[in-house]
Amino acid sequence: MPEPRWGFLIVLYLFLGGLSAGLFFVSALATYLQRGTEPAYPRLARVGALLAPWPVVAGSALLVFDLGHWYRFYKLFVTFEWRSPMSIGAWLLAAFTGITVLSFWSWLSAETLAALVRRLPRRLRFLRVVDRPWREALRRPLAMAGFPLAVGVGIYTGVLLGAVQARPFWNTNLVAQMFLFSALSTGCALLILALSLRRAGLEAGEARLLFSLDIVLIVLELFVVLPYLIHGALSPLAVREAIGLVMGGPFTFSFWVLFFTLGLLLPLALELWEMRPVLLARQALHPGRAVAALSAVLVLFGGLVLRYVFVFAGQVSAFQ
Amino acid sequence: MLAGAAAAAAAAAVAPQLGCAPLARRRRAATPAEVRRVATACELCPNKCAVLAVVENGQVKKLDPNPASPKSRGMLCARGNAAIKALYDPDRVKQPLIRAGARGEGQWRAVSWDEALDFTAERLQRLRQDHGPEAVLFSSTEGFQEEFFKNFGLAFGSPNILRHPTLCLASVNLAYSMTFGTVPSFDLLNAHYVIMSGANRFESIITPDTMDLIEGTMNRKAKLIYLDPRFTVTAAKADEWYAIRPGTDLAFILAMLHVIIKEQRYDREFVATRCLGLEELAAHVEHYTPAWAEVETEVPAADITRIAREFADAAPRAVYYAGRRSSWYVNDFQMRRGQAILNAIVGNWDRQGGVVPNSRIALGELLFLPWDDPAAPRVDEIDTRFPLAAKGDGAFLQARENVLAGVPYPVKGWMVYKQDPMNALPDRAKTQRLLEAMDFVAVIDTQMSDTAWFADVVLPESMYLERTDPLHMLPGIWPVVVLRQQVVPPLHDTRPNLEIIQGLAQRLGLGEYFEYTIEEWVAEQAAELPLDEPLAHMKQHGVFTPEGAPFYGRTLAPGFRFLTRSGKIELYSQRLAEAGHDPLPVYAPPRPVGEGSFRMVLGRKATHTHASTTNNVWLLEQTPTNDLWLHPEPAARLGIGDGDLVEVASAVGAVRLPARVTPEIRPDCVFMLHGFGKKSKHLRQAHGNGACDADVLVTAWDEVSGNAAFHETVVTVRKVGKEERRA
Amino acid sequence: MRERLGLTREARWALALDARKCIDCKACVVACKAENDVPLHKFRNRINEERGGSYPRLRASFEPEQCHHCASPSCVRVCPTGASYQRDDGLVLVHADDCIGCGYCIIACPYDARFFNPKTRVVDKCTMCVHRVDAGREPACVETCPSRVRLFGDLNDGDGALRRALDARRAQVKKEQTGNDPQLYYLV
Ligand SMILES: Nc1nc2c(c(=O)[nH]1)N[C@H]1C(S)=C(S)[C@@H](COP(=O)(O)OP(=O)(O)OC[C@H]3O[C@@H](n4cnc5c(=O)[nH]c(N)nc54)[C@H](O)[C@@H]3O)O[C@H]1N2
Ligand SMILES: Nc1nc2c(c(=O)[nH]1)N[C@H]1C(S)=C(S)[C@@H](COP(=O)(O)OP(=O)(O)OC[C@H]3O[C@@H](n4cnc5c(=O)[nH]c(N)nc54)[C@H](O)[C@@H]3O)O[C@H]1N2
Ligand code: SF4
Ligand code: SF4
Ligand code: SF4
Ligand code: SF4
Ligand code: SF4
Ligand SMILES: [Mo]
Repeated sequence: MPEPRWGFLIVLYLFLGGLSAGLFFVSALATYLQRGTEPAYPRLARVGALLAPWPVVAGSALLVFDLGHWYRFYKLFVTFEWRSPMSIGAWLLAAFTGITVLSFWSWLSAETLAALVRRLPRRLRFLRVVDRPWREALRRPLAMAGFPLAVGVGIYTGVLLGAVQARPFWNTNLVAQMFLFSALSTGCALLILALSLRRAGLEAGEARLLFSLDIVLIVLELFVVLPYLIHGALSPLAVREAIGLVMGGPFTFSFWVLFFTLGLLLPLALELWEMRPVLLARQALHPGRAVAALSAVLVLFGGLVLRYVFVFAGQVSAFQ
Repeated sequence: MLAGAAAAAAAAAVAPQLGCAPLARRRRAATPAEVRRVATACELCPNKCAVLAVVENGQVKKLDPNPASPKSRGMLCARGNAAIKALYDPDRVKQPLIRAGARGEGQWRAVSWDEALDFTAERLQRLRQDHGPEAVLFSSTEGFQEEFFKNFGLAFGSPNILRHPTLCLASVNLAYSMTFGTVPSFDLLNAHYVIMSGANRFESIITPDTMDLIEGTMNRKAKLIYLDPRFTVTAAKADEWYAIRPGTDLAFILAMLHVIIKEQRYDREFVATRCLGLEELAAHVEHYTPAWAEVETEVPAADITRIAREFADAAPRAVYYAGRRSSWYVNDFQMRRGQAILNAIVGNWDRQGGVVPNSRIALGELLFLPWDDPAAPRVDEIDTRFPLAAKGDGAFLQARENVLAGVPYPVKGWMVYKQDPMNALPDRAKTQRLLEAMDFVAVIDTQMSDTAWFADVVLPESMYLERTDPLHMLPGIWPVVVLRQQVVPPLHDTRPNLEIIQGLAQRLGLGEYFEYTIEEWVAEQAAELPLDEPLAHMKQHGVFTPEGAPFYGRTLAPGFRFLTRSGKIELYSQRLAEAGHDPLPVYAPPRPVGEGSFRMVLGRKATHTHASTTNNVWLLEQTPTNDLWLHPEPAARLGIGDGDLVEVASAVGAVRLPARVTPEIRPDCVFMLHGFGKKSKHLRQAHGNGACDADVLVTAWDEVSGNAAFHETVVTVRKVGKEERRA
Repeated sequence: MRERLGLTREARWALALDARKCIDCKACVVACKAENDVPLHKFRNRINEERGGSYPRLRASFEPEQCHHCASPSCVRVCPTGASYQRDDGLVLVHADDCIGCGYCIIACPYDARFFNPKTRVVDKCTMCVHRVDAGREPACVETCPSRVRLFGDLNDGDGALRRALDARRAQVKKEQTGNDPQLYYLV
């Protein structure tokens, strides 16, 4: 590879896409779960839905401006190349973004919406129609529809790389799983962060759900990363050499210290520590704002580093 | 499919385009460009390969090889392809320039051709009045329009016509002439055994030899023995490479002669009937044993013996290839004589796969008024100093010495055509002194060469693609006539040499000698060709080559007289004896370089021509600069790492450049590529890029031919800076 | 060539390379730049160099490489817009107008044969000089080579020069394990 064609914009794009997927996933889950007939985690569902669209929209914008001809991005949507992960991903992303925007709208409070409409110039007042009482009725259907798309987007960010058989560092389906779990985990993390920063702070029930979920995701991620390395080490030379990039090669530090230790093990430890009353005794947990926020930030950071390592190391790796 | 293809082909006329769309997806069909193909001949080096220039809407888009030429064998090298960048080089001299500031200061005044020619003629006239016509040097390098320049010098009345051979091949040409009475070619296409003394054919491209040698060695399985202190591309392709001790090739050759004669492996019949002096030769090489040669050359005696036997047994399909640039050592002539003699006794002369006298094609000649022979003797005293040398070409380095010393008479003016003495001669500082000693210097060049940079007036000649030159017959085993004709009109206010010369001649009252146009000249030349429409043929095809080539054995007819004094092939040369030289090649060991010093050797790379292409961006992409080849062993001793900045110093100068620490050169030699480190600020790519070898090369020459002896240069190397560039 | 082919049979263009004959003269590289307006410091073809041994037993070998016009080209597979495509005659090309310059194909090419063209702002690569080939001519790099290292021809032409060469001598392809089925045949 002369100079890596894909740079930080792509790293960010993959990260943000995954982040949205994660946010929506959790929000949808929270919408789904209920106590009796009441939604169990209304606040989670709402905050998740309101945050979900932004990262993916920003990320897609980045991607478009990374193109040789940004205004040609529409060409992605005049064809469907079923063998091209990027083509599939483009459609998937479009559908997902649409859903997230709709559910965003469905979760806006009547007051906010009204306030927005009032700000509109007279000519656009007809947009008042968006303010409909039955918006709320849409929340669940949207969540259910968005579920698979969110998971799909999470996987896609990994498949985009994993499907490139020319780059031994990428060419395994484990990358897709790794990116999916990492994506969902970053979603959890951002919610943990968002909520713990509010004055009210994390409420115990929410914390319990988010922490358990994130712990599970991180553990799953661990159980993909380690097999990925072992599998690589046992693979043909080209793959072994590629893995070498993070085993003593130029990406060793970012992978093991920044991603694996700071971005995976440390937040896992912190969250387990937070959860210990629940895990070890049947006690209520009192989440500490600082620890929660810290672990969340670490997870987000780890997610970013993971994508950085893969995008760059992958482009360097090649068959001999 | 075909329709799609046709559509694509149409669209393809407009580059750039990627791929071709099947009809289903066609975009607006781009308006097809107006395309012309013009046959011409490349000018970026002396090979004159046949070219088909592709012109699109008046722009030269591409130069394709013209398969019609048996000399260029349907190829075009990197430099030939890159000629486009020379044509469109923004650094070209775009109109005549007259010096405004001090010499070499780079202050120029752009002037009209009239003013430039008036100025030049007036200065030449003054010199002729004050000191006589011999006070002006006319120096040039081979080229299709060189003849007009030479004739101008003669018509002007100066005996001092200096041509490039004594910087290049004078010694090898003289050696073969003294032996065979002619300078032959080597049938590398059909040879089964080839020995080369540092003729780096796979980097120093000579047509058709380069292509024939590849064909021969790779397909016809000819064996290639290559001697060179450097591991060149040719060495890499050779069956056997010997890093011979520099300057000792004659020992290798004499030992081969020793073996072949001792073992009676020479062609008895051929030697008896056509050669002169075998007895003397046999006695002469008696003591030149392989064991002795091993000590001199560092080539194992056993190998010398074996190679001698293989060579003799493979004859007549065996050649000791002459090489072209023989400006090596002070005894170079004798070394080449040794080769010639070796070739002679194995009887490979004028046989398929052997050493073959050149075939020629007669061209017509336009008759013009003859001028009187110059009154004065030559300033280089060639008649007395190098009585056997080709007088017309002069002895360049001797001339420089004499002019600087003012003997035998003052020389005050210098006209230069298609030559860059600042780079082509050793010791650039000395050449600069020569330029500074001149009252007047005029340079006719396509670029602002280092020499032009120090001139009083620069007369920009149109680049080869912009002009029509005389027809040229290229002698060889496969002789050919090529036409270089205008492909596009001049981009800038430049003129072909003939028009420049005519402009000057008219102003100097010599107009009558040049009363013809290039068209008339070419037509007259073409008239002789055995074709019904010779001129039309040449203009259309650019090439003429006779039926039936190659022709072997025409000089083997009984009673044939070789153009030597005896009419025979002279192993022993009475003329040499009379001229006070060794009649048979006597080995003289090279001057020792001494502890901690290195011998500097020269050579080429396929991507550059001398000093004239180092401003060409497409060639610089391939070879952006030069560095100093240095063997790891001395490098370690001197604490020099790869890429470190080093200073290379000789008796005459020092330069700095990065070191390339490589095992691909002998520990006692260094090498740097020619043509870099230009002084001319006008050449923005080449100026200050790398180092100039001419700054450190010393002045020495071969006693017999007067040919420069560049490789007599001894240098020291020291580290002056940490790693500059990674290899 | 096309003339000889007539309408009867589809051609399958490929290149055989006799790298032993390569003298690293770079004629092919410069010819390509002229023929295809390749911008400065970008290249559609290159000469790989291998040097080794220890003084005075040294070796150096040179080997041209460019787009392999793979029979199953990963670059085409990953292209999201269909700009990268393969013709029936095997040539792998790019519709410049459809290319959005995402660079996915550059990364997906195991031979690093593609590059981003800063002038056109789309991806660029060896086209096998398709405009010449369709006009019945040889690619520029093939035509100009002094050593005749490069042999261009039609694999489907049973008695064509290319087939004959491939029948006469064993040939290797690069990085077979990528499954791209490359069509640059290196004669050994
Ligand atoms: N240090 C060193 N010196 C050498 C050599 C070496 O290898 N190293 N090689 C020696 C040998 S073998 C030779 S033959 C000589 C060559 O010596 P030169 O003939 O001087 O060689 P070049 O540098 O190729 O060309 C000189 C000038 O010709 C100009 N020129 C090119 N084309 C044209 C044209 O069409 N018209 C005009 N008017 N000018 C043109 C170029 O711009 C350049 O300035 O050098 C000899 N000197
Ligand atoms: N690409 C390219 N091709 C060219 C030219 C060019 O400028 N560029 N110039 C053309 C011209 S004008 C000429 S004259 C020819 C020159 O072509 P050649 O006749 O091949 O001469 P050089 O290229 O100077 O190669 C000289 C070789 O001899 C080696 N050598 C040095 N000393 C000794 C020694 O003592 N013994 C032995 N055995 N070898 C030694 C050097 O290392 C070098 O590799 O090339 C022609 N072709
Ligand atoms: S060898 Fe190259 S530079 Fe010399 S004439 Fe031929 S094409 Fe031109
Ligand atoms: S032109 Fe031929 S010999 Fe020269 S580098 Fe290219 S492939 Fe090798
Ligand atoms: S070499 Fe690369 S660019 Fe060429 S066809 Fe194969 S994959 Fe595509
Ligand atoms: S860069 Fe162009 S050709 Fe390559 S994948 Fe993207 S759109 Fe297709
Ligand atoms: S085939 Fe044409 S495009 Fe491809 S490398 Fe050769 S010259 Fe360049
Ligand atoms: Mo020369």
